Amino acid sequence: MNGKFEDLLELSEFYILSQKFEEAVKVLKKAEKINKKDSRLYYNFGIVYEALNEKDKAINFFRAALSLDPDFKAAQEHLKRLIEE
Amino acid sequence: MNQFAVIGLGRFGSSIARALSEKNFEVLAIDRDEERVKELEGIVSQAIVMDVTDEKGLKELGIVDFDTAIVSIGENIEDSILVTLILKELGVKQVVVKAHNELHSKILQKVGADRIVFPEREMGERLAESLASPKIFDFIELSSEYGIIEMVAPKKFNDKTLSQLKLREKFSISVIAIKRKVPYTKPDGSPDFKEEIIIGPGGADELTPGDILVLLGRYKDLEKIEKL
Repeated sequence: MNGKFEDLLELSEFYILSQKFEEAVKVLKKAEKINKKDSRLYYNFGIVYEALNEKDKAINFFRAALSLDPDFKAAQEHLKRLIEE
Repeated sequence: MNQFAVIGLGRFGSSIARALSEKNFEVLAIDRDEERVKELEGIVSQAIVMDVTDEKGLKELGIVDFDTAIVSIGENIEDSILVTLILKELGVKQVVVKAHNELHSKILQKVGADRIVFPEREMGERLAESLASPKIFDFIELSSEYGIIEMVAPKKFNDKTLSQLKLREKFSISVIAIKRKVPYTKPDGSPDFKEEIIIGPGGADELTPGDILVLLGRYKDLEKIEKL
């Protein structure tokens, strides 16, 4: 089961890199059904929405990532940047 | 019923005169330019060619009986001040004057104008308001007609090149820059992006989802893009 989660997470990263953000959201939603407790999942969601300029959604997802892993540095940086903007 | 006198029939004055007539108000329109007066004949109740600074003439017209006089003299600040003064001295209750700048507005206040408007500025503000959508990040007013906006590219634009979009031909809009978040993988394997700004993009540049466009154009054209 966890293997599938990792695959989906990786797939979402592939979609993010190729700027196919809608596809990335789809696989992230699938991944979320398998595991809701992984901070990387919410970080990737945050990245997608930040790239799409949907600031409020992005902020919520980076916060969700940090609630699961308060030391998640990249999430901290993105959240800080979005709030200060 | 309210009666209005519109003095000075430039673009602002004549559009106000028309708008008031459409609302069935009695409108007296005055300008020293015959052409401008002719254009309003048959639209307003009365259109008259006369020297607007002619105190006696204004008095004879019975301008005092009008509830509101709108002074929209474009080119000549001195005339605008003089007419305002005459109208107030004659006893017109409400005098609304179009101002060009702060100094003009201050003098108008001193000579008794009841209301001072900055149509160009107000138009800009209204526009800014109409553009106040989450898609618009920034807005710079260049003139009463032209401005620069920074907005999220409409979804329709995704994966199209600028030459395919033909923004210049269709909307007379220039794309000054594209702000793009370029994704990359960090050493730990997680995704991230850096912001890239393409200044003066060319026809071959293709838009990607999430791109922010910096556009220059007429407000009315920019609003069209925003509604796409």
